[in-house]
Amino acid sequence: MSATDLADVEYVVHSLAQTAVDKEKEFGDLDAVVGDGDLGYSLARGFEKVLADWDSLKRDDVATFLQQIALAISSRIGGTSGPLWGTAFLRASAAAKAVDTIDGAAVVAMLRGATDGIKTRGNADLGDKTLLDALIPATDELERQLAAGASPEECRAAFAAKIRECADATSSLQAKRGRASYSGERSIGSPDAGAVAVAIIAERIVADWP
Amino acid sequence: MKKFVNDPQQFVPEMLEGLALANPDTLKYVPEYNLIMRADGPDQNKVSIVQGSGSGHEPAHVMIVGKGMLDAACPGDVFAAPPFDYVYETTKLMASPKGVLLLVNNYTGDKMVFEMAQEMTSAEGIEVRTLFINDDVSVEDSTYTIGRRGVAGNFFVIKAVAAAAERGADLDEVIRIGEKVNSVTRTMGVALTACTPPAKGSPLFELGEDEIEMGVGIHGEPGRHRAKMMPANEIVEELLGPVVKDLPFGDGDRVALMVNGLGGTPISELYLLYGQAHKRLAEQGISVGRSYVGEYCTSLDMAGASITLVRLDDEIESLLMDPAEIPIRVF
Repeated sequence: MSATDLADVEYVVHSLAQTAVDKEKEFGDLDAVVGDGDLGYSLARGFEKVLADWDSLKRDDVATFLQQIALAISSRIGGTSGPLWGTAFLRASAAAKAVDTIDGAAVVAMLRGATDGIKTRGNADLGDKTLLDALIPATDELERQLAAGASPEECRAAFAAKIRECADATSSLQAKRGRASYSGERSIGSPDAGAVAVAIIAERIVADWP
Repeated sequence: MKKFVNDPQQFVPEMLEGLALANPDTLKYVPEYNLIMRADGPDQNKVSIVQGSGSGHEPAHVMIVGKGMLDAACPGDVFAAPPFDYVYETTKLMASPKGVLLLVNNYTGDKMVFEMAQEMTSAEGIEVRTLFINDDVSVEDSTYTIGRRGVAGNFFVIKAVAAAAERGADLDEVIRIGEKVNSVTRTMGVALTACTPPAKGSPLFELGEDEIEMGVGIHGEPGRHRAKMMPANEIVEELLGPVVKDLPFGDGDRVALMVNGLGGTPISELYLLYGQAHKRLAEQGISVGRSYVGEYCTSLDMAGASITLVRLDDEIESLLMDPAEIPIRVF
């Protein structure tokens, strides 16, 4: 593993954390439409902790770094978001541990680890109107671009475009998991707050890429 | 509603402080993680048995920590799963070369937190497994669960796995016993009144003066149906019927019978219920080998009761008979 790998991962996590903190109100408003409105608050508290601990996080390798992120956010985020986001980072960490270099294939494996973890922990799957409906197709798209020999920049752009497209498309779905599912058919017509949140996060990561 | 409370936010910590002060030789309180553990723990020669859940179910689970029962309990706030870092730090503190067993009643919030803690501490090299308890027959899914809820029957799982661990069983064996006891344990409860969480200060739900909630959960979640108040023998029939039919228990079975108070029912009424249940079982050829009457798993101040049956065999009965030393003495 090279130092550059870790720098990229650090950039992605830092950007994600910053967006979660900056967009607290926007994410909360999105969630209030059909959920219980705590998404913005939960994510902001969890990722505030990440930013507060930033300088003291262990940076032995990507896996260790991500494991500490998992611990920081799941300690601070209440409800079900904590274990879900924590598991995502923990599984990404495990995928990173299994490789020597964080190349495109490793990024796909880490994203797959994260989405599989959320599926298992949240007992959710594609079509349940969750962030998985944005993150999984975007990961598929990333894998396709890599296979087609696209450049890193093209891959990132395609990932961000797909995740936004799919997040917006969750409007037509009925929520099957989480608090939003209590609203039943009323959830149709609004996009899933978690899916839109990960789209906004991904767009910023790609737009500001160093 | 009148309650003994100072700052409602400090209700659980102040209860735990009192518990530790009352049992200085046997219990240790770690306020950072709401943790109550055996003063002499963790014992490196046995599997550590840890139970977590929301508070408000006392004596479950903080008051059943002691030799022969839990090595530690990790409670959350009233009716709330413990925060992840509490479970994570508790698991690390209770680590033993023989492993750690996390016992969890089957509620979605608790399940996520404990599975996550298991995954994280396993990644750090601790041998840890999780066992979910789901003895409630009243509903298949409920407000806070996918699948059946874990209620008062958890006492039998805890007692059996703790006795096995004390005898020196390894983690696989302890889990085999826990799964076996869970598989032959069935419970159903009834509420005569709602309960009042200290931080809320008013009843959690509305129950009419002449109404009862049949199949209630231990947080006051809805059960099977509302009914008009009826004589005790009819209530026993309504509870025992589904419990017996579910496993099913039948002619020739030997069982443990528990009548558990939900917090606001006098023990006199619990013994009255016990007598009715015992005789009704005898009529069906089911004999009671071990009897448990009292408060084991409550819902704060809710008036009501639950009935639990466990199908006994020599192994389970022997584990239930092993000695234990805990703050409440109801064996």
